[in-house]
Amino acid sequence: MSLPTDFGPDSGGRMKGVCIVKPIVYGNIARYFGKKREEDGHTHQWTVYVKPYNNEDMSAYVKKVHFKLHESYTNQNRIVVKPPYEISETGWGEFEIVIKIHFHDPNERPVTMYHILKLFPSEGTQDIGMEQGKGLVLESYDEIVFQDPTQLMHHLLTNTKQLTLGRWEHNTNFEEKKEKTLKSILDAKQKVRTEIAVCKNKLKLAKETLQQFKDEIAKSQDSQ
Amino acid sequence: MADVRDIMELDRPGTPEITRETILGTDKPKKKFTPGTKISKRPEGMHREVFALLYNDNKDVPPLFPSDTGGNGYKQTKIKLGMRRPRKWEWMAFTNPARSDNATFYHWRRPSDDAKEYPFAKFNKKVDVPTYTDVEYQQHLTSDTWTKEETDHLMDLAQQFDLRFIIIADRYDTQKFSKRSVEDLKERYYKINGILAKLNGEKKIYTYDADHERRRKEQLKKLYDRTPEQIEEEQFLISELKKIEARKKERERKTQDLQKLISQADIQNDTPRKTDKKIPKKKLSNPRPSRVDTSYILQAVETAGIKFPDYKNSGVSLRSQRMKLPANIGQKKSKAIEQSLQEMGLELNPTATEDICQHFNELRSDMVLLMEIKSALETCEYDLQSLRHQYEALAPGKTLIIPAQLTNSEQENKINTGEIIDVVGSPGTPLNT
Repeated sequence: MSLPTDFGPDSGGRMKGVCIVKPIVYGNIARYFGKKREEDGHTHQWTVYVKPYNNEDMSAYVKKVHFKLHESYTNQNRIVVKPPYEISETGWGEFEIVIKIHFHDPNERPVTMYHILKLFPSEGTQDIGMEQGKGLVLESYDEIVFQDPTQLMHHLLTNTKQLTLGRWEHNTNFEEKKEKTLKSILDAKQKVRTEIAVCKNKLKLAKETLQQFKDEIAKSQDSQ
Repeated sequence: MADVRDIMELDRPGTPEITRETILGTDKPKKKFTPGTKISKRPEGMHREVFALLYNDNKDVPPLFPSDTGGNGYKQTKIKLGMRRPRKWEWMAFTNPARSDNATFYHWRRPSDDAKEYPFAKFNKKVDVPTYTDVEYQQHLTSDTWTKEETDHLMDLAQQFDLRFIIIADRYDTQKFSKRSVEDLKERYYKINGILAKLNGEKKIYTYDADHERRRKEQLKKLYDRTPEQIEEEQFLISELKKIEARKKERERKTQDLQKLISQADIQNDTPRKTDKKIPKKKLSNPRPSRVDTSYILQAVETAGIKFPDYKNSGVSLRSQRMKLPANIGQKKSKAIEQSLQEMGLELNPTATEDICQHFNELRSDMVLLMEIKSALETCEYDLQSLRHQYEALAPGKTLIIPAQLTNSEQENKINTGEIIDVVGSPGTPLNT
């Protein structure tokens, strides 16, 4: 990249028409102690995290990640400034964690995600990670969309390094999941469209019949 | 306190002063108490207003109880209204010019009004009943149903009773002539009146619509003769009619939306198909000018479905935010969407890629559209049924046939959608491609 590196805090303005997408994964892993801990009643150890979906160093453009835990935790607001963006804690209950990602350029507003901490396996369905001995995993895929980024942000976003030389894997097979979800949505859409077409035709027929009936009634009224 | 003391004979000097006068009893007993002067000063703590109420000009205590004794009642026995002397009234004779018999009566009257005539005479209005000569009658007024004698009799009575036709009909000479109704009499009288007025060159001629009057009276008679049961039934029917009209209005409102829905369904079926083909070729970060173009048209026609906000603004956002239902989607609608998503085995928050996001939003928009079309269809079916009943009532023995695919829509939908498409046979449905 031959771009100059000394961007001021508000230099250059936004790059119109440019859109950069950074996929991410966020969620938690939880492991059961096997019993209730005597001293505080905690039952699980858990880790909540945000990681890049692709193998890249997010710290290039992420300034900090802010995890807001339940108010019963000491130091409820936890801030992580470099990868891995994660918080490990112990506890006994599930609650909503607010995750806020701040970026290096203060002109770009932070994004906020909400994750419900999952400790207990759900009934009926098989949870990911249980069989591999990792513990219980619940994670979501999302994409951060940078529409018309600032020049500084654009520079930072396009100059990321690999995070690790090894393989970069996730607990959830998102590619498969994406494919399956898209297929089922498209199927459902087709089904709904078909039904719309059917209903629409019926509606037309109904309207025509209505008019016909009205004519008939008018005729028989005239003849009386 | 003073009264009590007075009664109890307290607060008097220990022993009454014995003077010469008291012993002799010649003088009036001296008043020991003069309450007026004693309490004329306002007691401490009493409001001035209250004090003013208690004491009038003459500084004596108002009575606690109303009294009607003459002596203690009014201060002035004679009312003083003014200084002028009362005017005189006189008992005098008068004649009423409205009378033709010159009868004389008496009444009280002011002498100053002597010159004026009897004031109520002007209320005696006389009707000008037209007259005709024999020649006129022969020329213009002959009638098949009326003889000259009877017409003369009618005119006499009209003059006599000042056109009070009810009385005329009552006093009609039924021995000489046949009995006639009030309308018959009026008709004949006003006809004559009209013809004579015309002969005299009057421009404004009044006519009397006897038939209308007869119908009107008949109607009134019918209305009056109703039995309580009939009245009750009528009330019931009126309330039913009101209900039906309210429902009809509601349905008309719905059918108005119908055309919109149909045209929109057309557009929704056409435009997304174009974009469908393009999507796989696109890179994630590509701007999409073609979609922007159509979205304006879509928005213009869009009334049903969901209008998702356009994320064209600069800045950072999460993809999953674009799948949030807009705030204008009501709780009921979003619940219904949720339910049908679950029925189809779909996640409520699917993995947020661009494709999934777009299709998921389109799917839900279509769902809402489908729901609305379905409810419109139900309205139509209801209308058809009611129109059929209406027709059956109009033409007994005959009926209208509702097309089979419009009855029991729910069941047929599930059995085989393909067949229905064939039956309806409309071109350009997505199934055919």
